Amino acid sequence: MYSCVLDRFTHVPPERVLYKDEFSSLTWGAFQASSDAIGTYLAGLIGPVAPVAVMTGRHVWTPACFLGVVKAGCFYAPMDGDLPKARLDQMLGVVQAAVMLVDRAHLKTAKELDFHGEIVVMEDILQTPVDPELLFSRKSAMTATSPLYVIFTSGSSGIPKGVITSHESLICYIDAVIKVLHIDESDVLGSQSPLDYIAAIRDIYIPLFTGASTYIIPKNEFAIPGQLFETLNRERVSTICWSVAGVELPAKLGAFELGKPQYLKKLCFSGSVIHCKYLKIWQENLPDVMYVNQYGPTEATASCTYYIVDHPVSEDTVLPIGVPYENYRILLLNEDDTATPPGEIGEICVSGPILALGYYGNRAYTEKAFLQNPLNPYYRELIYKTGDLGRFDEKGLLEFHGRKDRQIKHMGHRIELSEIEETAGRIDGVQDCCALYDRDRELLYLFYTGTASSKEIVLYFRQNMPSYMAPRKTVRLDELPRLPNGKTDMQTLKQYFHS
Amino acid sequence: MEELMEILENLRPDVDFEKETALVTDGILESFDIVALVGELDEAFDIEIKPNHLIPENFNSVNAIWALVEKLRDEW
Repeated sequence: MYSCVLDRFTHVPPERVLYKDEFSSLTWGAFQASSDAIGTYLAGLIGPVAPVAVMTGRHVWTPACFLGVVKAGCFYAPMDGDLPKARLDQMLGVVQAAVMLVDRAHLKTAKELDFHGEIVVMEDILQTPVDPELLFSRKSAMTATSPLYVIFTSGSSGIPKGVITSHESLICYIDAVIKVLHIDESDVLGSQSPLDYIAAIRDIYIPLFTGASTYIIPKNEFAIPGQLFETLNRERVSTICWSVAGVELPAKLGAFELGKPQYLKKLCFSGSVIHCKYLKIWQENLPDVMYVNQYGPTEATASCTYYIVDHPVSEDTVLPIGVPYENYRILLLNEDDTATPPGEIGEICVSGPILALGYYGNRAYTEKAFLQNPLNPYYRELIYKTGDLGRFDEKGLLEFHGRKDRQIKHMGHRIELSEIEETAGRIDGVQDCCALYDRDRELLYLFYTGTASSKEIVLYFRQNMPSYMAPRKTVRLDELPRLPNGKTDMQTLKQYFHS
Repeated sequence: MEELMEILENLRPDVDFEKETALVTDGILESFDIVALVGELDEAFDIEIKPNHLIPENFNSVNAIWALVEKLRDEW
């Protein structure tokens, strides 16, 4: 039993490479030394169990910053410096950190934010003389349920929700994935996920637990299919855990016409339902790769279930989401909190040590989503209600049957359509609006009434929200179609998808 | 060229396409923008942009994109 992720680190020679990016690489020795220095500095500045906002770039030093925060006995809240100021201010408002750790490249952005704490520049503190006693005392005070990070997801009220997760949950999840993917120190992971995003926990922690290494792929290589596969080959990448959007992209852009990732052995995808016409292209070109479909929300530490694809897929195959990972338990509940009978569709609920600690600073939301298991009157057992619908097939594999509410997955990100509407509603010249998602063409639509132009709307989104939340198509109407009960008639609006 | 500007402005009204010369290299156009753009260009100009055309030099500026479109149109 480990009391914190630091205890779970493997032991490898200090000269071994841990993380690598386009410009530099970080060995274990350099990683430990720099995170010790960052940890010592922060521990001298703030007390334990405090949030530290971290705004750094897509490079090898970012994981060192995260773990430096952990070594100070604190927890980190990653911030993507490319997000608009308004969004970052919202996130900072939730986290209420006294300290923000940045790299020099983000100092200017950080200074412009609505942040009143202390900004610490990573490059300035890497030479801090390490204080082993201080670090030891911070580490000794941690328990398995101490918080590790706060990672943000879309919130239906228009304010992002910060999911706070413990050391124990992270260790349970990463260990379960390592087992399924058979990761060892010979593996090289190719990281696609933004480092501030939940999916990056695999790319950051799997190497720390196994001695494997991670190559951080430059973001714009995904637009250049030939270059992407060349990079995977140059770095001898054996394992990729990407969003479905990231896996579909090279197939869509015809990357296999130019080459193949020849060292690839394992491909794990998650975030949304994969279109099997693209998976088929991967399978035809790389038949010996193990393909794993993963499912799960941030609130249950990245993923709950997995399915190893054991047959060639066709265009119309719908993959099951499979079986629970070790330390995850899945149950299906009906609307009235009774158990869903076998073979029927119910809400997917999760329990186990992998449940997040809740939404940071929001007890009301936390209590609504994390509840006592209604099937257990005997002792305390929390479950997380995912809002996803599922069904167990005759082989006991879980199938995904969509959402209970209006949450969608777009470009690998989770979006509440009501948050899009909430945002559009703040624009002068937008009266009424309705956001809908055309899944076939992966287009986010905004239907609206009012005088605003399409350009004004998209510009407002680009200036205030993450780029993936900006509507791709805006349709101005004289009025929104209504159902007899007064609600917006979404089915009628969906007819615009095909025009 | 006008038609191209219109496509680009609809795609990303927040970008000043007349000024930018490193659209891909600087990450202004994201991979998802490129996917959408390729589809629209193929359709609007009746061309077929192939994977080997997807290099930063062909998409870094309006002029580069226009040069690519013209080149592919001539091939027909």
